[in-house]
Amino acid sequence: MIEPLKKIFKRRSFPYLFFKIAVFFILLFLVDFFVGNIFKHFFFKQTSGWEYRTKYSIEDTKADILIFGASRAQQQYNPVYFEERLNETCYNVGRDGEPIFYSYAVLQAILQRYKPKIIIFDVDNAVFMEKQSSYDRIAALLPFYEKHPEMRSVIELRGPFEKLKLQSHIYPYNSLLFKIAMGNTEFNKKRNVDIKGYVPLSNSLNEPIRKVDLSSKYPIDSNKVNCYKSFINDCIKANVKLYLVSSPYFFQSTGSDTSIALAKKIANEKNIEFIDFSKDGFFKSNSKLFDDTVHVNFAGSTIFCNRLIDTLISRDHYKTVKISNDIK
Amino acid sequence: MAFVPIYIVILGFTIIVDYLAGICIEKSEGRKRKYFLIASLVANIGILCIFKYYNFINQNFSFLLHGFGLSNPIPYLSILLPIGLSFHTFQAMSYTIEVYRGNQKAERHFGIYALYVMFYPQLVAGPIERPQNLLHQFREKHHFSSDQVFEGLKIMTWGLFKKLVIADRLGIYINGAYNHLPQQNGMTLLLATIFFSFQIYCDFSGYSDIAIGAARVMGFNLMTNFRRPLFAKNTGEFWKRWHISLSTWFKDYLYFPMGGSKVPVPRWYFNLMIVFLISGLWHGANWTYIIWGGINGFYLIFAIATKKYRDKFNKLIGINKFPRLNLFLEISITFLLISFSRIFFRSKTVEDAITVMKKIITFKGSIFNDGTAIVIYSFMAIGFLLAVELKKEFYTGTFTLSNHKNFWVRNSYYSFLIIIIILLGVFDGGQFIYFQF
Repeated sequence: MIEPLKKIFKRRSFPYLFFKIAVFFILLFLVDFFVGNIFKHFFFKQTSGWEYRTKYSIEDTKADILIFGASRAQQQYNPVYFEERLNETCYNVGRDGEPIFYSYAVLQAILQRYKPKIIIFDVDNAVFMEKQSSYDRIAALLPFYEKHPEMRSVIELRGPFEKLKLQSHIYPYNSLLFKIAMGNTEFNKKRNVDIKGYVPLSNSLNEPIRKVDLSSKYPIDSNKVNCYKSFINDCIKANVKLYLVSSPYFFQSTGSDTSIALAKKIANEKNIEFIDFSKDGFFKSNSKLFDDTVHVNFAGSTIFCNRLIDTLISRDHYKTVKISNDIK
Repeated sequence: MAFVPIYIVILGFTIIVDYLAGICIEKSEGRKRKYFLIASLVANIGILCIFKYYNFINQNFSFLLHGFGLSNPIPYLSILLPIGLSFHTFQAMSYTIEVYRGNQKAERHFGIYALYVMFYPQLVAGPIERPQNLLHQFREKHHFSSDQVFEGLKIMTWGLFKKLVIADRLGIYINGAYNHLPQQNGMTLLLATIFFSFQIYCDFSGYSDIAIGAARVMGFNLMTNFRRPLFAKNTGEFWKRWHISLSTWFKDYLYFPMGGSKVPVPRWYFNLMIVFLISGLWHGANWTYIIWGGINGFYLIFAIATKKYRDKFNKLIGINKFPRLNLFLEISITFLLISFSRIFFRSKTVEDAITVMKKIITFKGSIFNDGTAIVIYSFMAIGFLLAVELKKEFYTGTFTLSNHKNFWVRNSYYSFLIIIIILLGVFDGGQFIYFQF
């Protein structure tokens, strides 16, 4: 096919160059389209693993109570207790290592489908800290860019060329080859314990409590602060009861973390309750309830979740919801 | 590392100084020529000293005074290192030295000379060009050649592959290990150190390929900077294959003027050690780089001093009868020695490097695995690199995909590379390691 065309175009001329480039790009486009769609098919067909949990959170869950946050949400809030004691369905949409951008984008997608009754958002120390890695982590949402326009503004925060990169059908599945393959196997289900999004931790910490100075200042990312504010505003607009929670830590802190102080201030301005377990004395005296200094283990999670549920039950809102449900 | 627009003034200053120095050297005779050369070298090295070494020297001075119970009254400078400073300074110095030696005519056209120093494909991380190779190309007429454009694009694609798919992928594991030393065990650090050898090769040679390819697209030929150093049979050969533009710079402008190997043996060894120590210092103002240079200098001296005995030993055990095994052992030992020295290159401090070595020596612990995919991708990337380089090194002209005669085979290969870059490349705003130098 190429040989006759070589006779038409003078070799080494501009038209010949453009012809070759055009053929190359058509070839590239076809491969990209074909391979990208295979990845898309298998990505959304997954039945286990992190990508599946994200997909389930964005597209499938209809739980009454949703838990948002990063690893301290995913690995500390057991939905089973919330379901048993509050008689509501619950799902943990938290994802390890994900910054607030992820939580906000997932909320956007969920609110397009339905309105949960309660949202619990675990606010971590340094949640607003400026970090390049936070923007890199948004990559977890790339496969949803095409299907979920409501998430695009967050995904595009990754960089000025993100829109251009996303013209490729393969790019959204960058670095996901192995995860997609595993997510489509039964073996993965056995490997990763997942209780409605909650991933229990089994290690038991056996060390004396350390002192940590939280008072040192660090640069604050205004995009993160804006996401936090928007998260609160969107919950208020959708009439979803929001609880902001700071879960327990196993260290004795001096001073207060800049992000937590700011998060509390904003919550106060918006009239949203901020429940703080970060300095709870009970947890400070029991290292065995922790997997590491920032995550409670399964036993710790049981105690923490029940204490949090006690707090929720004591709140007027929950009493009102409970009564109205009982009347129904 | 940072790019501050005002720093363009520094570049402008060296360009003007060296441009004038070149003309003055050519016009002058006798001792005056030397004075102009010295003035140019002082200006260039002076800028390097201020921006790169001032705080390092001051810090060591403070340490010394502290030993005598004194405090250092000299203040530290709050300045950032201009991007690629060591590269364009060395390129500028090679011009004035070559004019002084009479190998290069002084460039009268200021724009062309400025382009020589600031030619953008290689401005920030080389290859460090010589005036004899580059300057005349700026004066020649360049006709459009689709072959050159494609050749350049092919080189760039391979460079991008090495950078995004291999170097940055390995970087995830290496950073996880080296940035959290207290939590890591010996096996993890051993793996991270070996990965680092591949990372730095792919990072730096990837940049060089992109630079050479970009220049080729425009019709310019830059010098080769890497010749498959992973297959070097000894450390001497390694330095003939690694960062060739810098190695030859040191050889031409430092090693030979010091007498090279045509001096008594102790002086020869001294010359070698000095070159490697300065090479270490060129890479960064930190003792880790100086020690790294020292270790490599030691390797070379040791190799020269023991060659006779090693040859005898090899004959005795009969390894020469198995050339393939011998080659494999030579390549592996060279790779491990170079990787070992790079512990200092990668560590932030000498203490960190010692910690890494102490832990590695134990060979204890299971390999840290923060997601199986990272390790699997890393091994896949290294495997692909080795397959390609092995083919280029030992099977030249045989089975080839990148230059296959068939249009479709050739293009399918490059489509495959681009698809792999999109699929497995790391697009997280990582930087080139050598930009910091």
